[in-house]
Amino acid sequence: MNGHALWNRLRTHVDWPLVLTVLAIATLGLVNLYSATRNAPVRGMFEGQVRLMVVGFVLFIVASIIDYRVWLRYAWIFLLIGVIAVVGVHFVGNVVKGSRRWIALGPISLQPSEFIKVAVILGLARYVHDRDNDDVPLLGLAARGSFFVIAILMIAWQPDLGTASLVTLICISVMLLAARKLWPIFVGFAALAAAFPFLWSYALHDYQRRRVLTFLDPSTDPSGAGWHARQSIYAVGSGKVSGKGYLQGTQNQLNFLPEHWSDFPFSVWAEEWGFAGSMVLLGLYLFLILWIVNVATQARDRFGAILCLGVAAMVFWHMTVNIAMVIGLAPVVGVTLPLVSHGGSSVLTMMIGLGLVASVSIRRYAH
Amino acid sequence: MLQLDRHVPSPGVPELNRRFRWLVTVVATAFLILIGRLWQLQVVRGDHYLQESTDNFRAEQWIPAVRGKILDRDGRVLVDNRPSFNVLVTPKYFTPEARERFVRLLGLTEDEATALQSRLGRARNRQHPVMVLEDIDRDRLALIAQAGAELPGVAAEDAAHRHYLRGKLAAHLVGYMNQINDAELEARRAEGYEEGDYIGRSGLERQWESYLRGKRGVERFVVDARGMRQPDAHALGLIEGPRFQPPVPGHNLVLTLDARLQALAEEALADKPAGAAAVVEVKTGRILALVSKPAFDPNVMTGRLTRAEESLLQNDPLKPFLDRTLRQHYFPGSIFKSFTALAALEAGVFTKDDRVFCNGKHVLGKRTFNCHKAHGWVDLTAALAQSCDTYFWVASERLGIDRIADMAKSFGLGSPTGLGLNGDVPGNIPTRAWYEGRGGFRPGYALNTAIGQGDVTVTVLQLALAHAALANGGELYAPQIALRIETAAGKVVEEYRPVLRSKVKLSPRSLAAVQRGLYAAVNEKKGTAYASRDAKILVAGKTGTAQVGKLYRNVKEVDWDPSQDHAWFAGYAPVQDPEIAFVVLVEHGGHGGAVAAPPAMKIVRGALGDDVTVKADEGVVP
Repeated sequence: MNGHALWNRLRTHVDWPLVLTVLAIATLGLVNLYSATRNAPVRGMFEGQVRLMVVGFVLFIVASIIDYRVWLRYAWIFLLIGVIAVVGVHFVGNVVKGSRRWIALGPISLQPSEFIKVAVILGLARYVHDRDNDDVPLLGLAARGSFFVIAILMIAWQPDLGTASLVTLICISVMLLAARKLWPIFVGFAALAAAFPFLWSYALHDYQRRRVLTFLDPSTDPSGAGWHARQSIYAVGSGKVSGKGYLQGTQNQLNFLPEHWSDFPFSVWAEEWGFAGSMVLLGLYLFLILWIVNVATQARDRFGAILCLGVAAMVFWHMTVNIAMVIGLAPVVGVTLPLVSHGGSSVLTMMIGLGLVASVSIRRYAH
Repeated sequence: MLQLDRHVPSPGVPELNRRFRWLVTVVATAFLILIGRLWQLQVVRGDHYLQESTDNFRAEQWIPAVRGKILDRDGRVLVDNRPSFNVLVTPKYFTPEARERFVRLLGLTEDEATALQSRLGRARNRQHPVMVLEDIDRDRLALIAQAGAELPGVAAEDAAHRHYLRGKLAAHLVGYMNQINDAELEARRAEGYEEGDYIGRSGLERQWESYLRGKRGVERFVVDARGMRQPDAHALGLIEGPRFQPPVPGHNLVLTLDARLQALAEEALADKPAGAAAVVEVKTGRILALVSKPAFDPNVMTGRLTRAEESLLQNDPLKPFLDRTLRQHYFPGSIFKSFTALAALEAGVFTKDDRVFCNGKHVLGKRTFNCHKAHGWVDLTAALAQSCDTYFWVASERLGIDRIADMAKSFGLGSPTGLGLNGDVPGNIPTRAWYEGRGGFRPGYALNTAIGQGDVTVTVLQLALAHAALANGGELYAPQIALRIETAAGKVVEEYRPVLRSKVKLSPRSLAAVQRGLYAAVNEKKGTAYASRDAKILVAGKTGTAQVGKLYRNVKEVDWDPSQDHAWFAGYAPVQDPEIAFVVLVEHGGHGGAVAAPPAMKIVRGALGDDVTVKADEGVVP
């Protein structure tokens, strides 16, 4: 294959809407992050994020070039490694804000609980593949299913309630779309609801309970988490229709928003660009999600389709939970806004996941 | 929708194809909820949140205005301001730990700690410093300065504290200040009063509040989330309007008062437990001295007065807060006879030479009225000089009560002086109608009224102005205390002229006859104040010894019997060309001539001193 043919193939096979949407969101994310980190106490956050975006995009390209079917074989192993890393980080990781989530790998710190989402998505795809292709007995499927439950419990134990809930949401979303029968899922819901009082009392940490209570009644904590949530609403609302202008957001620039580069970048965006800007960003996310679902419907095999649905669910839930939390519709939990929040592990995870979608997309016509 | 419509059946997931509509519904619902909420926050309630976010960073600091001074007519400073330190707390940064440390460090009492808490709780703007301790001493200042960052939100700021340089001098007139209370704050918020502001509470401080107060300045700036000032240009661009408004100092109030004479008058009454004195200019009605005893120290009132100290003052049986020149009315006693005499002469029931025989008593029906001695034959001059009651009882029988009352009222007795300070009560001049409204008139009432007893009550300042009118030919002036208003730099803003209230219709002959009587009371041998006459200055005056009930109980003062009569002396000087009119009252002092006249003479000497050196009564006295 000479260079010209490769270019032609690239031009016709590369999923340009996906690539351009990803690049657009990433660009807006960087533009926003520049503003958000301008007055941050730590220097070089923006430059670091640019480097990670570049690395992330390289991973996106690599993931899209490699045939996704290669991963079918390694899906379980990845999930196993992911769980081990999550558990391991509990013993060797660096403590940040009361929980160990980071592993230092040379100059960069990685957060296994982010990467495990890709492993879970691969695992889900493998699970559905096994179900449909091999004649696995029910007991075997149940055993494999328990794999996911264990992974979620491990993440929750870490403790990282945000990631645990997100992985749960991804699993449930995918299974609601892919399960042959829905009743076992509803039974699972019922069991979870029945176990709720027990979980509330024994499984949650004090600060987690407090966050939920604060969300339900902000007046119980006017200076802590409730204050953060309120300041975020002030930021979003004060942007009005057209925003205060780039770099002009007072809530952002004068640090009334806490940690706005990681948890509250959307407040920064909404304050400086207003309702109009919010709609642009939401529109890009909506297009991205629907486009990935579209790729799923056209995937050449089930493994690829479920892979896409998993990534779509990941992007959808990350975005929805993050924005809902920023605008006071959900308690403040550490869930990032895809490609916009500061944080290497989140960016790399998203880029790898979207790269997998691109890989599925490139190969959809090759029946 | 996009390529979804060109859906190619794939070997993908059949279940997905069945549930595709669900997926779209869930995603669409989630986005609609987010969009709806953003619409609500940014479009519908945008202005509200913009205000909230603006309130976050906008901060201002007041720069207090210096209150105007109060000076006497010669520019002597009576009241100004001295440097002091107040403790301010910014509620937003004042954590519970900081509060605990603050209370412990300064050793605040439980009461003080509670007061601190409630004051902070009332703060409307949590970013605005609230004054919690005022005029702290050096020890506390040092403690706060040392604590520094351990007390977030606490700052000691220098502030001007009201300073009454002359202590108790003219305390009732000057008044005092204290912190504005909640009800006033509600009512006067529009005038710019804020929590912790001082406000004139009584006397001139209260009456001239709006002139003395000035206007606070303000500095506006931008703060970040930790309350740090943002000095950069961008931040300053967020401030609308001027960043700095300088304070406007209050105006100075220059009084008609003569502080030297005031001090002298207070000195003259130094040995009297309770009493009052007033000195006014005869030709203008301007107040030269106004004494009310006992007095309070405005410095104590305008400061860290504890509840216990305050109640001690409030419960003092001698009522140091009572302004005895304006707020309290008294029986004038014999002082009133001058006006009865004028009424008799004007009505023509007597000429000045008509004589009455006093045998020491006067019978009316079944009642016998006793004069204090048998005076024999008395004419008007002798009756006034010797204060013969019988003469005036006879006069009152010919006059009737109403003509006496009319004359007294035309001299301003029985109605407020109009000074507008400290209550300024009217007192009472009874008439026949007044008695008929209260169970019926009896002839004896007129007799009592004629000698200033019964139901006749007047105030000290009323009497002073009435005697000025007696001296100047019947011109009744409004009392004047403010001479002018000046800016802090000394530029005159307003100047006040004497105000003539009314001119009493009198024949000069009648007036001269009464003046002759007042002259005789001081300067002729049988006069009631003859013993107190001055060697150089010719004074005309009338003594009074008013019978009263016991005003005070449980009072232990050395050499003072609170069951005695009130002692009065009122008059004017110098007789040749009267300049000042004066009144001295000594509560429960006893005989007017013996007790009230000597201090009055001291005051007159102090007022006129070197001006009148030669006592020349030829050609002056009729």
